[in-house]
Amino acid sequence: MLFSYVQQFVSSRREAESLLANIFIRLASRLDAAFESSLSVYCWLQIEARKIILEHRRQDGVDVMSGLGENKAYYFSLLEESSSEHRWVFRELFIHGRQREDLAREAGKDQAHIEDLLKECMQIIRKKLG
Amino acid sequence: MYANNQEKTRLNIQQYIASGIIESYVLGLASSDEASQLERLLPFYPELQAALSDFGFQLELFAIQHEEPPPPGLFSRIQDKVKDLPAIRERPSGHGTRNGGATGDDYIPVKENSTHIRVHKYWRIAFIVVFILSKLLLAAFIYYFIQYRHSEREMRLLREQQIKANKVQLSPESQDNDK
Repeated sequence: MLFSYVQQFVSSRREAESLLANIFIRLASRLDAAFESSLSVYCWLQIEARKIILEHRRQDGVDVMSGLGENKAYYFSLLEESSSEHRWVFRELFIHGRQREDLAREAGKDQAHIEDLLKECMQIIRKKLG
Repeated sequence: MYANNQEKTRLNIQQYIASGIIESYVLGLASSDEASQLERLLPFYPELQAALSDFGFQLELFAIQHEEPPPPGLFSRIQDKVKDLPAIRERPSGHGTRNGGATGDDYIPVKENSTHIRVHKYWRIAFIVVFILSKLLLAAFIYYFIQYRHSEREMRLLREQQIKANKVQLSPESQDNDK
């Protein structure tokens, strides 16, 4: 299950394999935290895996604008019918791990506008999943 | 008054849930302030916990539906690497420890409640052999017992016939006839 999740962040299957191994190695000693969390183990794993992936991409100097894994769809596919602005916000925040203030600066809008778009993205995702 | 306040709070919680905070939190997109606020509220509002579990469940279903299996052998490679980690390698084999093998002397107290025992698989063969032998012995016992009863009855009949024959020989009528 986590392998498909990882693939949305990276361009190649080989990189996804290597990242998945790295994720399990790094999280193996912290699994106690998963059981103490208010989230399910799988959701906890997803959050921690994303942190590791984003950290790995930053360390390796992967260009955050290179739009690596969004072609793998996954959660991004839930926003297929939404506006390009919504998809842009979700892609930059979720896939590329950028900050809300960065996006606001880039779009020439205030942060509240980006937060509103994010809220709408979340509502669309909930509706699609439900 | 209290009921009104409760209703207002409930309404606010519903609005809070509808704002998308749960989804942001579960996807790891909530800011640290938003995440800590939700974690503070969670123990007091079961609706929040229910919404969190519900969305987590939906995500797991989505993950199952979109599952792509990793290449064969990847899991065993990960397992090998995880086993090589110091915290896991140091754990003494055959003994569980409390804190992930951090201290080797710290044994988990195991209370024996089971009424079952585990034995070597050779005991199964031994049991089958003993069972078959016992059945053969039982069959042999029944056979020889019947034979014994049968021969005993024949012996008794023969003895009775002999006694009868002796009586006939000794009777006066038979002596007169002989004369």
